[in-house]
Amino acid sequence: MELGTYAENTWCPGCGNFGIMNAVTRAVKILSERGVGADRLMMSAGIGCHGKIFDYLRISGFYSIHGRSIATVEGMKVANPDLKVMTFVGDGDAYGEGLAHVLFAAKRNADITVVVHDNKVYGLTTGQFTPTSKKGFKGGSTPEGSVEDPLNPLAVILETGATFVARSYSGKIAHLADMVVKAVEHEGFSLVEVLQPCVTYNDTYRLYNEQVKILEETPDTLEKAISTARIQNPLYIGVFYQVEKPVYHKELYGGGNPVRDSLRREERINRMRNLLPI
Amino acid sequence: MKKDEVFTYLVGGKAGEGVKKAGTVAMNMFSRMGRAAFEMDDYPSLIRGGHNFTVVSTAADVITSHYMKADLLVLHDERSYAEHQSQVKPEGIVVYNSDEVGEDVRGIGIPMTTEARKYPPNTMLRMGVGSVTVLAAAIGVSLDQLEDIIRMEYPREVEKNIDYARAVYELIPSEVMGKLHLERGEHTSSVLTGNQAAALGAYSAGLDIYFAYPMTPSTSILHFLAGHTKDLQVVAIHPENEIAVANMAVGAAFAGAKTMVGSSGGGLALMEETYSLAGMTEAPVVFVLSSRSGPSTGVPTYTEQGDLHFALNQGHGEFPRIVAAPGSVEETYYVAAELLMLVWKFQTPGTLVLDKHLSESSHTVTIDPERAAWADFSSHGSGEYKRYTITDDGISPLLFPPSSEVIKWNSYEHDELGITTDKAERIAAMHDKRKKKLETLTAYMKTITTVNVYNPGYPVIMTYGSTTMSVLEALRAGDIDATVVQPVYLRPFPVWEFAGYDTALVIEQSSTGQFATLLKEKARVDSEVITKYDGRPFDPQELASRIKEVV
Repeated sequence: MELGTYAENTWCPGCGNFGIMNAVTRAVKILSERGVGADRLMMSAGIGCHGKIFDYLRISGFYSIHGRSIATVEGMKVANPDLKVMTFVGDGDAYGEGLAHVLFAAKRNADITVVVHDNKVYGLTTGQFTPTSKKGFKGGSTPEGSVEDPLNPLAVILETGATFVARSYSGKIAHLADMVVKAVEHEGFSLVEVLQPCVTYNDTYRLYNEQVKILEETPDTLEKAISTARIQNPLYIGVFYQVEKPVYHKELYGGGNPVRDSLRREERINRMRNLLPI
Repeated sequence: MKKDEVFTYLVGGKAGEGVKKAGTVAMNMFSRMGRAAFEMDDYPSLIRGGHNFTVVSTAADVITSHYMKADLLVLHDERSYAEHQSQVKPEGIVVYNSDEVGEDVRGIGIPMTTEARKYPPNTMLRMGVGSVTVLAAAIGVSLDQLEDIIRMEYPREVEKNIDYARAVYELIPSEVMGKLHLERGEHTSSVLTGNQAAALGAYSAGLDIYFAYPMTPSTSILHFLAGHTKDLQVVAIHPENEIAVANMAVGAAFAGAKTMVGSSGGGLALMEETYSLAGMTEAPVVFVLSSRSGPSTGVPTYTEQGDLHFALNQGHGEFPRIVAAPGSVEETYYVAAELLMLVWKFQTPGTLVLDKHLSESSHTVTIDPERAAWADFSSHGSGEYKRYTITDDGISPLLFPPSSEVIKWNSYEHDELGITTDKAERIAAMHDKRKKKLETLTAYMKTITTVNVYNPGYPVIMTYGSTTMSVLEALRAGDIDATVVQPVYLRPFPVWEFAGYDTALVIEQSSTGQFATLLKEKARVDSEVITKYDGRPFDPQELASRIKEVV
């Protein structure tokens, strides 16, 4: 399976996005072997350095706008639930511009997979602080250092009702590939936060290589999962939480499929006749 | 009453007293009598209390607006009496609730509240049943027929409603009984609001999923479709905000679903970035814009056509936009279907412009689902697929997942496969493709009805949207032989239909004359303008006088 395209790769040499793309490529191949064929595996991406993955992978999908790609795949899934959908988002993209969509997708247990490229900086717009940047981050918009504390996205998302939450690191490709496979195979909302260094504006390779530690066991309660997400050192990677819950589209319309079952014209005319006069 | 005479029934009271429901029941009664009827509801933005009124006008043959002068008024409280009693026609009848309105006033008092209290618990809602009873008695409906009507229309606590209606009926004096007899008409019609017509039109054309966040006056589209998900087999989704609404709709279109979204001005403003996204990705989505009095939060439950320029220019950047503004409830049904067809045929977003008056007023209409358009599209055959293949007509065939081919829709400027590009020749080529699509669309628009022209005569009146209903009724009310020119499509603007017109009297509900500006810009029509911008639709008689003043 060849997943590359002819698009010229414009990520900086050493960018964490390369690790993420390699892991996703590996995950797509594994998923294909396990029955999730590339024909029904869709992707979308937000806007930012992360989003370029859309051009570099031969996977069908939708290159969305900043912050909204979660809503895009929710629309795909609800239209045709036979599709498997994953969306690639950035930290500014999903936790700043589009946070409401992350929380509500988790709340309604939309059957989608969200992969967050969390480099804690806006790269493509040349280095500003994001919702996950450390207080004091110096960038173009905060030359004296940002005065805001960072958000802890995993703790918030766990509280919102997410049914699968994991963290991985772009420097550990096999681990990240495994997390993506598990997330896509999970029925319901799944989110994989990827710790990703930005070599140009926020180089965290050394920090992550020192602090990242594999979580040996998935916490068995939500409270323990949230506590684990709050730990800053070590930075655990692995599945923080997984639980089964009814998924949104099935709660909404059962086993139907709006695209597959879409009524033909004649049947619609019949149903209109039954309704009118009203 | 004579066959061509208009009869108007007005009910006023507090929110929660079943005022609107009384209007709906009156519409159904007139419809079953084979008459044409039109209902306008006037209500403030609150849940209980305040002052609501419903006004229903009916004629045996044709009617396209309510009238503010009434033959029969039923007024539940002091405030309604104060506001409306002067609207009674010289031969008309005012019936008021004598428990709430003081003594020594003109009209016929009935102790509606005292009677209602005998049938608890929903004594407030009982008031509407009383108003319907007064109407039935005045137009000569027998007590047995009234009982059937109440059984059908008020099934909750039905026996109490019937007992209450009987009690009120007994109290109605002889000077009201059968005094306003109405002829039967020959229509077989449905009673629909503009919003119901929009929902059903889109459904007939193939709508699979409607996404919306509640906002008056568009909300009843969402309520209507959500209430019919099973019998119509359609999906209605209410997400976290309008931005999610629009983006989910685009994502669903990618997967092959026929989608529509709806809101008022504020909600459409939030969707605007996604409107442009639909233009770039060539996503077929219908956006319903039901305007209210603006700007900003404005006056949520009142009407205005102040969003015209906003509607015409949704989304940043250059791409084909289709903007339709139906001029009646019936036309809303067919145009909603046609617009869904057009956005799929040309793979670009379209806007259906309504306003509170068209969205929420009810009209007796004749709907033939066979005549509705069907949303078909250019489909990829076999072989290698490129989403944005450059073709002679600018339209690239569609292919939906699952597929072994790669299908890429892209918000960035892209090449034919859908991969992002910044190459000069590719940027220009894709602009040319979208421009070509606009040319193809414009050529197609010349083959369909884009402008309605009513009555030969003088002067030439130009109007659009809900105001068309007011203008046509004003011509009847004032016995004016004017030509009415009403563009149904406002973008691409049908300039080819305006060749013979240099001047016109323009009538619209905006303060700055946006429609007159559009006519000047697109069709070089000079105009005098009659405007109204107090949130209330025109009254036909008032409008007829204003037309006569100008002419």
